[in-house]
Amino acid sequence: MRRVTTIALLVLAALGAGLARARIVHIEDARRGRKELLYLPNGKYLKAISLGHAPLMADALYLWAIQYYSDYDQADRYRFVEHVFGDVVAELDPRYTDPYWLGAIILTTEANDLEAGLRLLDEGFAKNPEEWILPYLAGWECDRAGQFDRAAAYFDRAAKAPGAPPALFRLKAGMTALGGNLREAIARWEDVLNDPRNDDAARAIATRQIRTLTVRADLRDLEAAIAAFRSTNGRPPRRLEELVPAGLLPRLPVDPDGRAYAYDPARGSVSSTAARVLGS
Amino acid sequence: MRAVVAIALNTFREAIRDRILYLILGVALGLIAISRFVSLLTVGSEVKIVKDLGLSAISVFGLLATVFVGVSLVSKEIERRTIFTLLAQPVRRWQFVCGKYAGLLLVLAASNAVSGTALLVAVALKGASPWGLVPAIVMIFVELALLAAFAVLFSSFTNPILAAVGTTVTYVVGHLSWSFDLLEKRMPGAAGRALCRVLHAVLPNLDRLNIKAEVVHDVALPAGYLGAAIAYGVCYALVVLIIASLVFERREFV
Repeated sequence: MRRVTTIALLVLAALGAGLARARIVHIEDARRGRKELLYLPNGKYLKAISLGHAPLMADALYLWAIQYYSDYDQADRYRFVEHVFGDVVAELDPRYTDPYWLGAIILTTEANDLEAGLRLLDEGFAKNPEEWILPYLAGWECDRAGQFDRAAAYFDRAAKAPGAPPALFRLKAGMTALGGNLREAIARWEDVLNDPRNDDAARAIATRQIRTLTVRADLRDLEAAIAAFRSTNGRPPRRLEELVPAGLLPRLPVDPDGRAYAYDPARGSVSSTAARVLGS
Repeated sequence: MRAVVAIALNTFREAIRDRILYLILGVALGLIAISRFVSLLTVGSEVKIVKDLGLSAISVFGLLATVFVGVSLVSKEIERRTIFTLLAQPVRRWQFVCGKYAGLLLVLAASNAVSGTALLVAVALKGASPWGLVPAIVMIFVELALLAAFAVLFSSFTNPILAAVGTTVTYVVGHLSWSFDLLEKRMPGAAGRALCRVLHAVLPNLDRLNIKAEVVHDVALPAGYLGAAIAYGVCYALVVLIIASLVFERREFV
């Protein structure tokens, strides 16, 4: 009889615990996304109480954050991304680079908050100046947002970090060109061409880019000069040489092969026949 | 010296028969093994998580081993009355204290060697070079050696429960002693500031022995740091051990 009572009590207690647990889960689910982040203090304070185990605490929070942000049902889930990855995990273990870039990807890609993502990557690079990967990623985020000049600036910072591959200078030159500053882009490609760390393949790419950008820049200058001539004289110039005495060009450019650019006076358009020019 | 070695070996033999030590070591090894699976939950940095979890497991479970084995070293002999037999031999009291401490160090060295090797293997199995972790494992041992000296000190004049509390509090205070530096800057009075300065200088600064973060991130330590940190831990432990011997010399057994 005593054994039956004991077993019955055991079953009842287990049942009671199970039901209570289910009730707690139900209540927790109703306020999901709020409680977990409500009391997460700044990493500086957590570090103080970590008793020498701050890196492990950073790992635990990073793992928790990955699981949290992998749950797409969380309400208001992007509100504390910068706090979790920047103020908490990064303060606990400032040399831990993964949280910077993962937090930045969540912010830029999912929360569409480019500025917050860049802030996180900037913080990571400020604390880890040898981690060129952080401004490199920031450069691509700016590229994705169509901010090519900003992307070029980030690739420049990445390229100048110790241990960064010289190929990053190519990205900087490429972004400068995408930003529309063609003469500046040519100068940056010339830097790549003259960098002794680059191999023959990189120099061949630089040579072709310089040719292409030179043609594009010259044609753009010529078209602008022709348009200015047309607006002053009411007609396009008969020959390109007229642009120089009119003060619209300092001298007449020639293409990378040393030939004059072709000009159609009837349409007022210029073109190039230069060889090995991308997109021609 | 022979008496110290004999007591040390006897303490070591007695301690390794204690099941609690195997339980602690087993949990530490289990954690290191589990870290391989925990790292599956992350995005990147799997090796870092294995290293962090492994080093913290060695440190925390080493602390538990120090507390559980260390605090009853002297009191157990008094409780069992074996101290009378022992001290009736040509054994000085300081030799007894040093022998007990050396025996505890042997236990901790063996425990550190086993769990440290397990961590090195776990990291190597992840495809990373594990050798950079060795200085951190050595420094954990230095920290435990310092705490072991405190365990022996507390054990020499109080009961095991108070000695366990004292050793644990020393660990906590040792990792928070930097706060006296902060407190000093905010203290209004000169006496308070002087007290903070003294406490900051005198209390063990266990953070100075903690190089886990640097080792995990492959950050080079400043030249001479490792040697200075080891010297700090060893000298501090020696001071505590001398105090323990003096306290034990004055103790009367009834």
